Amino acid sequence: MLKAINLTKNYNGATALDDLNLNINAGEVFCLLGANGAGKTTTINLFLDFIAPDGGKALIKGFDVAEQPLETKKYLAYIPEQVNLYKNLSGLENLEYFSALAGQDRYTKEDLLGFFDEVGLRREAAENRVSTYSKGMRQKVGIAIALAKRAEALLLDEPTSGLDPKASNEFSELLKKLSGRGCAVLMATHDLFRAKESGTRVGIMRHGRLITELSTDEIGHADLERIYLENMRN
Amino acid sequence: MIYKIAHKEFIETLRDRRFFVAALIVGGLLLVSLALGWQHSRQIERQHEAAAEMTRKQWLSQGEKAPHSAAHYGVYAFKPQMPLAFVDRGVEAYTGVAVWLEAHKQNDFRYRSAADQTALARFGELTAATVLQILLPLLIILLAFNAFAGERESGTLRQVLSLGVSAKNLAFGKVLGLTGVLALLLVPAVLIGAVALMLNGDEAGEPFNAARFALLVIGYLLYLSVFVFVSLAVSARASSSRFALLVLLGFWITSCLIVPRAATDIARRIYPTASALEFAAQMENDIKNGTDGHNPSDKRLADLKNEAMQQYGVSRLEDLPVNFDGIALQAGEDFGNQVFDEHYGNLWNQFERQDKVRQLAAVLAPQLAASSLSRGLAGTDFAQHRDFAIAAENHRRLLIRTINEDTMKNARYGDTKYVASANLWEKVPEFQYAAPETAAILKKQSGGILVLFGWFVVSILLMIWATARMRV
Ligand SMILES: Nc1ncnc2c1ncn2[C@@H]1O[C@H](COP(=O)(O)OP(=O)(O)OP(=O)(O)O)[C@@H](O)[C@H]1O
Ligand SMILES: [Mg+2]
Repeated sequence: MLKAINLTKNYNGATALDDLNLNINAGEVFCLLGANGAGKTTTINLFLDFIAPDGGKALIKGFDVAEQPLETKKYLAYIPEQVNLYKNLSGLENLEYFSALAGQDRYTKEDLLGFFDEVGLRREAAENRVSTYSKGMRQKVGIAIALAKRAEALLLDEPTSGLDPKASNEFSELLKKLSGRGCAVLMATHDLFRAKESGTRVGIMRHGRLITELSTDEIGHADLERIYLENMRN
Repeated sequence: MIYKIAHKEFIETLRDRRFFVAALIVGGLLLVSLALGWQHSRQIERQHEAAAEMTRKQWLSQGEKAPHSAAHYGVYAFKPQMPLAFVDRGVEAYTGVAVWLEAHKQNDFRYRSAADQTALARFGELTAATVLQILLPLLIILLAFNAFAGERESGTLRQVLSLGVSAKNLAFGKVLGLTGVLALLLVPAVLIGAVALMLNGDEAGEPFNAARFALLVIGYLLYLSVFVFVSLAVSARASSSRFALLVLLGFWITSCLIVPRAATDIARRIYPTASALEFAAQMENDIKNGTDGHNPSDKRLADLKNEAMQQYGVSRLEDLPVNFDGIALQAGEDFGNQVFDEHYGNLWNQFERQDKVRQLAAVLAPQLAASSLSRGLAGTDFAQHRDFAIAAENHRRLLIRTINEDTMKNARYGDTKYVASANLWEKVPEFQYAAPETAAILKKQSGGILVLFGWFVVSILLMIWATARMRV
């Protein structure tokens, strides 16, 4: 579903992403770990075609994102660290707008409220302006948009940072639900615990290189932290 | 999709207090300026009608009177208020709208409101044209500068673009949304304008010139859309919304203030005109001493006497079958007219060349193109002032000639007490002025229209280009 082939990106001569090869299938949750500046956001930006690669390519459903930027985005949903919504519109209006722009303009109000239920947002909040929403609520609207869009691939950039443990947990549950439906997920995160909980695979990046890749069911929480720190050390 | 984007932009803008207030102020000013302009125009028209009636009545009721003193008495000619003058007063505040037609002289126009006012009052004169050409573009910039830059800063741009929306659709959706907001101001203004025009038409007996009004509306829409497209283009490329605002304000100041002002100054420098005092002195000198300085008026008179006597084969002026005083007066007129034609012709040509420079500068500033088209369609540009001045001058010549011919035919030689009969005055028809047709005006404005259209096309391409290369 999501595939990177020798993907490389330089910023003013400095390598931000170095020869990344990655393959994420439907139903998989791949968690990208790595220190600040390791190249996680760069990877996600490349999949979104927000930046152009200096080498290699990013494929979504077999299509090169640089060649078919609009086609490939049809299958994508993107949830950044802070889901940004139009603050003068209500949550419902935002959801309606984003799903209509994603090509899903047939939803009734009831359908849209159904997505609110599904992500655990109270219906009463749906009519309030987004400027009154907490961070956790916004992230949930982000998921609701992904649901409404019927996205097949999810790109998440530190989606749970700053969320309280309960909200973070709820978010992970939603993620599991989505991947259970066959969504391919690529999530950049600093939260080793979450990565182990909701990820099927983790990859550790350093200086733009993916140096280690492992399956989460082969290791425990403590193992993951140890492996991560070892990789950071040398 | 575009409609959906437009709808969201529209709702969002209306919910934003600051923009709502700004739009309310500009919209209010537009309506007030239209109403004031209409009232002013109507008031002038009423005054002119009354004065024209009065001047005609006085002319006809002169009774038995020496014809030449009637020629000195003269009449007034008033430029009719054009139906759309309430939108754009154009040059009328500076050129004046009435002229006194009398013997020996082509007079300057009077009732120049600009000359009667202090600079401060002139500045405060608010016309719909000023609001449309200067203030509305500013409002558009304030509404549109953060269209993309603001969304980039708040992160929603990435969110929207990640959905698979094309930049072009996004741009045109925003154009449409902005159009909706502006329509809230412009539709009432257009309706009020149309009603005012119909009421004007009633009053002045002018037919409601729908075509010209429509052209004016289209012209302004083209002009305003240039600012919409440029604002979106800059917003798509600028590194921040503050920078976008800065660039756009620079564009506004250049287009609406600096270039028009500079073009006027440069035009005056390249094509200078004499001051009113110098101009009058030169004409007086030419009439007295002849255009080449070798043909003074007393010599011309002597020549004229010989010529007349030769023509009729007599040796004394009293034997002429026509009155020589009449001949001499008309000859003096004819000579004066030559001088006027030359001097006024040169002066007006110079003014028209200045106008051409301004029209050329429209390539740098769309405001100049809009202003030129607006004045042309409103009937208040310099070319139409000149057209009226020529018509009035022709009427003056007809009037004086009619009177001099009466003296030639009916006065005895040396009879200084000759009075014309009371029915002579009717032989001079009432002054009627037919303003240029819309087609003729459009032809004159074709260069400006082309430039305006050029701005429209270039700015729309610029927007498409800039949004396709939008920063994310
Ligand atoms: N627009 C840019 N211009 C220049 N350099 C950039 C730009 N964006 C990222 N970089 C550089 O590329 C490298 C990778 O950055 P990236 O944002 O991908 O890191 P990250 O793994 O997401 O880090 P973090 O955990 O802090 O989010 C960094 O060295 C960063 O300085
Ligand atoms: Mg990052």
